[in-house]
Amino acid sequence: MNLFRSEGHIERWLGGRAPGATIPVAKLAELALAWWDDRLSPDWRPRSREESAEILERLGLTGDFWRLA
Amino acid sequence: MDEHDLVLRRLTYKLLVDLERAPTATEVATAAGATTSDVLAGWQRLHDEHALVLNDARTEILMANPFSAVPTAYRVLVEGTWWYGNCAWDAFGICAALESDGRIESSCPDCGEPLVVNVRNQEPEDDTLLFHCLVPASHWWDDIVHT
Repeated sequence: MNLFRSEGHIERWLGGRAPGATIPVAKLAELALAWWDDRLSPDWRPRSREESAEILERLGLTGDFWRLA
Repeated sequence: MDEHDLVLRRLTYKLLVDLERAPTATEVATAAGATTSDVLAGWQRLHDEHALVLNDARTEILMANPFSAVPTAYRVLVEGTWWYGNCAWDAFGICAALESDGRIESSCPDCGEPLVVNVRNQEPEDDTLLFHCLVPASHWWDDIVHT
């Protein structure tokens, strides 16, 4: 799960491997905030798979790649 | 996850922030008034539930997500303290968890050029960068270190 300067850098890094998913860094920041913002809260509870899936869906991260097991 | 393990997890994360590094099992045991064996057994349960990640020997914390206990390619400066994220996602997650601005330093995995992202109000100042996730979500926990 890495940051890159451009699609060209991603393609070279993949070196022929099948690509995963690419999103803008601003979307990553949104995802990180939704995913991790409660991590140090005294009220933290484990999130269910359904709750995690809802976060991904709300951010438009849908399709087979983003489907949790 | 029962209340006992939630308390252990909460204490572990609190110590991580207070110490600015991952605590040892002995440090957590001392703070909890428990034995090191009790802490290691609890950490194993938390590991099994993906609430943290232990090293192969199951004796030390490897990841208290989004924090990494060991140096990684994603350094994050928050209010004068350097942290390590397990990946780019976790690097932003450190700013989110600490509810703070930050500065992420890494390098492009392709060309090695430095990448610096200042995070203000949980948003990147440079929005031209791209995030690539190689492993599909359904396989993230198959090998979380690789992911």
